[in-house]
Amino acid sequence: MYALLSRLAELIARGMALLGGLALVALVVMTCVSITGRALIPVGLQPVKGDFELISIGMGFAVFAFLPWGLYARAHATVDLFLTRFPARVNRVIDLLSDLAFLGVAVVMAWRLWLGMLDKKSYYETTLILQFDMWQAYALALVGAVAFALVAAFCVLRSARALAGYAEEAGHV
Amino acid sequence: QDVTLRLHQFLPPQAPLPAHVIKPWAESIEEASDGRIEIQHFDAMALGGTPPSLMDQARDGVVDISMTLTGYTPGRFPRSEVFELPFMMTSPVATSLAFWDLVESDLQESEFKDVHVLGAWVHGPGLVHSRDGVTSLEDMQGLKLRGPTRVINDLLAELGATPVGMPLPGIPEALSTGVIDATVIPWEVTPSIRLAELLDNHTEFGGDRALYTAAIVMVMNKRSYDNLPDDLKAIIDEQSGAKLSQLAAEVMWEYDAPGRKIAEDAGNTIVTLDEAEVARWQQAALPVVDRWVAEMDGKGIDGMALIDQAQGLIKKNETE
Amino acid sequence: MSDFDLALWSFPVLLLLIFLRFPIALAMLLVGFFGTWMVTGSPMMMLAQLKSLTYSTFSQYSFSIIPLFLLMGQFATLSGMSASLFRAAEGFLGHRKGGMAMSAIGACAGFGAICGSSLATAATMGQVALPELRRYGYPNTLATGALAAGGTLGILIPPSVILVIYAILAEQNIAKLFVAAIGPGILAALGYMIAVAVWVRVSPNSAALAPRVPWGERLKMLAGIWPVLVIFVAVVGGIYLGIFTPTEAAAVGAAGTGVAALFSGQMSWKTFSQSVYSTAASTAMIFMIVLGAGIYNSFLALTQLPQETAAWVSMQDLSPWIVLAVVLVMYLAFGCIMDSLSMVLVTVPIIYPIMITLDFGMSFDDFGLWFGVLVLIVVEVGLITPPVGMNLFIINNMARDVPISETFRGALPFVLTDIVRVVILTLFPALTLGLVWAIY
Ligand code: NA
Ligand code: NA
Repeated sequence: MYALLSRLAELIARGMALLGGLALVALVVMTCVSITGRALIPVGLQPVKGDFELISIGMGFAVFAFLPWGLYARAHATVDLFLTRFPARVNRVIDLLSDLAFLGVAVVMAWRLWLGMLDKKSYYETTLILQFDMWQAYALALVGAVAFALVAAFCVLRSARALAGYAEEAGHV
Repeated sequence: QDVTLRLHQFLPPQAPLPAHVIKPWAESIEEASDGRIEIQHFDAMALGGTPPSLMDQARDGVVDISMTLTGYTPGRFPRSEVFELPFMMTSPVATSLAFWDLVESDLQESEFKDVHVLGAWVHGPGLVHSRDGVTSLEDMQGLKLRGPTRVINDLLAELGATPVGMPLPGIPEALSTGVIDATVIPWEVTPSIRLAELLDNHTEFGGDRALYTAAIVMVMNKRSYDNLPDDLKAIIDEQSGAKLSQLAAEVMWEYDAPGRKIAEDAGNTIVTLDEAEVARWQQAALPVVDRWVAEMDGKGIDGMALIDQAQGLIKKNETE
Repeated sequence: MSDFDLALWSFPVLLLLIFLRFPIALAMLLVGFFGTWMVTGSPMMMLAQLKSLTYSTFSQYSFSIIPLFLLMGQFATLSGMSASLFRAAEGFLGHRKGGMAMSAIGACAGFGAICGSSLATAATMGQVALPELRRYGYPNTLATGALAAGGTLGILIPPSVILVIYAILAEQNIAKLFVAAIGPGILAALGYMIAVAVWVRVSPNSAALAPRVPWGERLKMLAGIWPVLVIFVAVVGGIYLGIFTPTEAAAVGAAGTGVAALFSGQMSWKTFSQSVYSTAASTAMIFMIVLGAGIYNSFLALTQLPQETAAWVSMQDLSPWIVLAVVLVMYLAFGCIMDSLSMVLVTVPIIYPIMITLDFGMSFDDFGLWFGVLVLIVVEVGLITPPVGMNLFIINNMARDVPISETFRGALPFVLTDIVRVVILTLFPALTLGLVWAIY
């Protein structure tokens, strides 16, 4: 059962990261096209309409999409001064506590983002140039936020098992 | 003291609006209440978030009072946009008072129903600041411009320019890197971004109508207002509304002059388009107004009637 | 407890959580969240704020430069340019005493010109240069120390993620900041090379010298690194020559290094996805800290602590130079245990508003640039100081037979040159600002 969950969490984290990465590459291409168009206005070309907004929307999606992997891969900066000085068990307890806190943060984040999306929808807010619906930009971000909460739940399980003394899975990063 | 109100806004404390409108306004309330009301100032987004979130911060009670541009949340305040239509504004003070009148009679109950509006005003006449100079409609062709509001961006595109959407603090960098060739803002804002050092040409519009303006509101959390005892409510009402809106418009307009002086002293070229040329611009802007009316119809708002109402209110306040 | 006391107490609580090994982002987020709760008496303020705060923070245009620079660094790693850089540097320096170590530093400087991150520079150049240094018989201390120090050039030479973050927090012009950092970055590389030259003379060793390479050959090697030059000129040059914004420059850099990686034959779905995972991990880490620091700082603002502290400092009539010295030493001390990015994110919003009230006899803009470069250097030293120095760990991890204590010792001479450089740049602001004055 745990192995299945572990594979699922890893799949979600990797999948979202790759989606975010593809969004990033798309933004890179769009920006290069836009710069070229802007430089060539005299010969009739145009920059991509609303390029700044597209970067902002795309980056919002990418950053949210990167959150699950950041947590799964334990990428968050810590001060490891006492890491080797604490007994192993203390370290496991701290891992569990911080993963629990992350789960709380992730759930609150997704919940509030959902409400924020409903706000944007009810007020018909759009972006300035493209008049892209803001609620849709929030919805894109919400995909990452929900994945973040799911992976955070798995990380709590992972730390709890480590504390209980189970060996870490082979797939662990 | 009985109540502490947190006031959040996006400008630095030394800017004309915070220094000469918001703080004096807050002091007058604190004085009139014998210190029973204290207003804490949080300038330059000190409490976090971005300027577009200021409206929701007041609505949700993150802060008690906030000041924001309605244009920061495009689509959310369609009726207020009527004052931002090209060549709608005559005198900024009369236009501000007209905006406030409309808030009192209609908008407070419609698009501002989730907050309590304390003041509503517009800034001084917006003009074109450019690197290479704009002396006729044709010069707009192919120009990369930063526009402040939804309607103005539509206007810029209609005139043949390429509107670039970016926040105000991004202007200096964008100008110095050639990402934009020009921007439209009122004189009052130019010193804060040292615009006169970054470009050499400024284009004013002759005649009695401004190219554009932007709508600004100061709003209060509904519950914070409703929870006040009646005498404190009365004190705030006394200092706000038309009084605050007029003061804000006067100060913003007045601070156009030092901004213009800096550009003059820098030896920049300031041209004023004559009325014949401005008439061409007004003609070119008609499709934008038509589009706006059609859009309002789509939202169930009678755009034509709103324009008539706004123009009537401006005229009324001009003569008063 | 007054709001002000609450803010004061939040510091030890925050430090305690951080030293208990809670992720820094999480610690700030929690202290900020519960602190705000205590000030306002309800969690509603923070909860309401969070409806739009996460999205508006993560989608902010100015911050979007960060993932793009990270991706650019990853693609640069794939492109194989690290090897040609090292070959070219070796051609010029390899035949001198200590020449291979100097070459490694020169190549790090070159790689730093197209990579905005220290860790990526250390990891990439370490992979290429460390085996060579050891093959030539360099002592473990010097080999690992030089590469760990060389890695910091990834950030000291623009483009640089830390400078970008500082520029956003202190509202400085990124292009000018990059220009300001060029001189000090070159000084850093020279300082490290001098450290090597002194080392091999003071402590003789049996390291072999590479054969002298004829000039024709050298020029050919130099020609082999043209993509690096093209990308550097496009990115850093493009920003201030008036072609694009810093964010667009980062996108151009990512495109350039991506194309170089494609042509090198190293780009496959597998290596691409690994680049994305690394970018994702660093991005998640940085943006969570940005969010946490934002929430913590808004809590502090709510208590009025920063305003009152700034007012207090300006009333004390302290010598600005003493305050500056204290701040820089504090950064050095914290750098021993804290990650440089988090340090900048956590401290600049609090310290910078206080620093600009002091009079150093220069304009606000000049001060912002000069202080930024000084902060950049002192936080980067943290990457090569024990007990927690990420570059030391990365390089040591590549030479598993070398005890970490040897790597620590190997880095010390380089730390010394860092400190000398900070003193020089503090005393002579023109070294930092001269190029900015000349160009703008
Ligand atoms: Na760099
Ligand atoms: Na360190």
